[in-house]
Amino acid sequence: MKKRLTRISLIFFLVAAFPPGALAGGMFGPPQTLSAAAGGLNTAIGYLYHEDTYKNHPRHKMRHNIIYSQAAWGKSGMWEIYGRLAAADMKMSDAFRSCLPAAMNIGSEFHDYWKFFGTLGAKGFYPVNRFFGGGIFMQASYNPGKYTDETPVLYNGSFFVADLEIKNLWDINLGAGLQATLPGGIRAYAGPFVYLARADARMSHNIPGLPLGTEKTFLKNKSPGGGYFGADIPLIRGFRLNIEGQYTSRFSAGAAISYVY
Amino acid sequence: MKHSLCLVAIFAWLALFCAPASGAVSGDGKTAYAANTAAEPAMAQMPDPTDESAYDDDDDYDYDDEPFGEERVTISDPLEPVNRIAHVFNDRMYFWVLKPAAVVYKAVAPEPVRISVKNLHSHLGYPARFLSCLLQTDFTGAAEETGRFVINTLWGIGGLMDPAAGKNINLEKQDTDLGETLGVYGVGHGFYIVWPVFGPSSPRDSASFIDEYLLYPPFYIRPWYASTALTALEYVNSASLRIGEYESLVGAAIDPYVAMRNAYVQYRMKSVQARQARSLLFKEETAGPPEVKEAEDEN
Repeated sequence: MKKRLTRISLIFFLVAAFPPGALAGGMFGPPQTLSAAAGGLNTAIGYLYHEDTYKNHPRHKMRHNIIYSQAAWGKSGMWEIYGRLAAADMKMSDAFRSCLPAAMNIGSEFHDYWKFFGTLGAKGFYPVNRFFGGGIFMQASYNPGKYTDETPVLYNGSFFVADLEIKNLWDINLGAGLQATLPGGIRAYAGPFVYLARADARMSHNIPGLPLGTEKTFLKNKSPGGGYFGADIPLIRGFRLNIEGQYTSRFSAGAAISYVY
Repeated sequence: MKHSLCLVAIFAWLALFCAPASGAVSGDGKTAYAANTAAEPAMAQMPDPTDESAYDDDDDYDYDDEPFGEERVTISDPLEPVNRIAHVFNDRMYFWVLKPAAVVYKAVAPEPVRISVKNLHSHLGYPARFLSCLLQTDFTGAAEETGRFVINTLWGIGGLMDPAAGKNINLEKQDTDLGETLGVYGVGHGFYIVWPVFGPSSPRDSASFIDEYLLYPPFYIRPWYASTALTALEYVNSASLRIGEYESLVGAAIDPYVAMRNAYVQYRMKSVQARQARSLLFKEETAGPPEVKEAEDEN
């Protein structure tokens, strides 16, 4: 017992030493790890539709479609470290909406296409008995890409083209979960998590009325935490399907198919 | 592009000398040798002119004893003097360049890394194997190859791992090429060639250069030295996983050149035979012993 707790603590210490990774890095998965008891690899591909509210002075709803490929290594069904290579697009509502009647813009939504980013994570699991257990995880992501979009603005009879650049997106998540093993090997799980998510934003022209000015501002998550729940379902030939929902200030959902070597 | 055209021109020229199986004969009885095959029946029926016993005791044939018995085939080796020079060159290349590089590489790169490199190389060979399966009318093989490619791309970290070959999924790699495809359609070996650097081959099997280069995506990486470096890495990586095999073969042989030639041609003939058994067009012909067919015909 003491040894197991020491191992879990060590994993968290190691993960905490990593630099913070990227924005919404994907699903958290079941607390219990998938790798073989003797140690081994498992891989996964996944998709997550992610929504969250970011705040600066006004609030913006940010949406991502995230696809990722994951490789994980763990041992004894107790602990696991994993890395992900992912790509995400970005939409942000009201990024270009003016609050002054003198500034009129065409279209208010910011949109840019897929950028690659990376995620690192670790999890530890402690089985209470054959059916129940609990675990903790840490996951961090960093997106080095620059998301850019522009909008034409008519202000006092003059046209401007305003470019908005959002970059340095990162997040770090820390959570715990309880798991129940159902008939058929289905693992149902749920738990709370806390997170930090940040991004830098900068507008090319200082247009009165637009919330994101030329000064570098940063966006941060509105809610400090949320909850997640999901199920991990065995398929055929070593494949497993994981479906998961996450709720912070908005609802996100995704699915992943993993393969255990 | 120029390289590609030159290669194609060379293959076309070589193909002129690559007789179909029905017309393949040994050029010289002394340099010809035997190998097992049922894939090239016409060659198999040619008696060895130096073997007098081939022309008598016709009544003593007993097909019942060995319905799948070994048949004798021949391959000509008119370029033997040149081939031997190329063989010595390749031998020196192996011992002086490739093996030392492979030993150092093996010491630096752990085995899982080297296996991953091998897996990636194999993964990128999918277009060639897929095309060969289609041309051989082995549609099951083409589907398996595609399944392997998808699974290994998605769950094999882009091809670095090979989960498709695991016991759960068990999709076998279709280890075939355009040389075997020509063999499936009855094209004979032609004659034996030893290419400098590339090793044993024949005019027919030289078509495999198309697999290895024109249908291999890294061949198109620019600048040219990047793709050359990748090819060199593949050679060294492959050698590092098989150090000792070549030494065993040539060490046990009285004449390493002949041993290499026998091993190569037998391996290729068996491969062609196996591919014919999977082909929709040809598997009926190789499905069973002759007497079974005769019995079916009588009925």
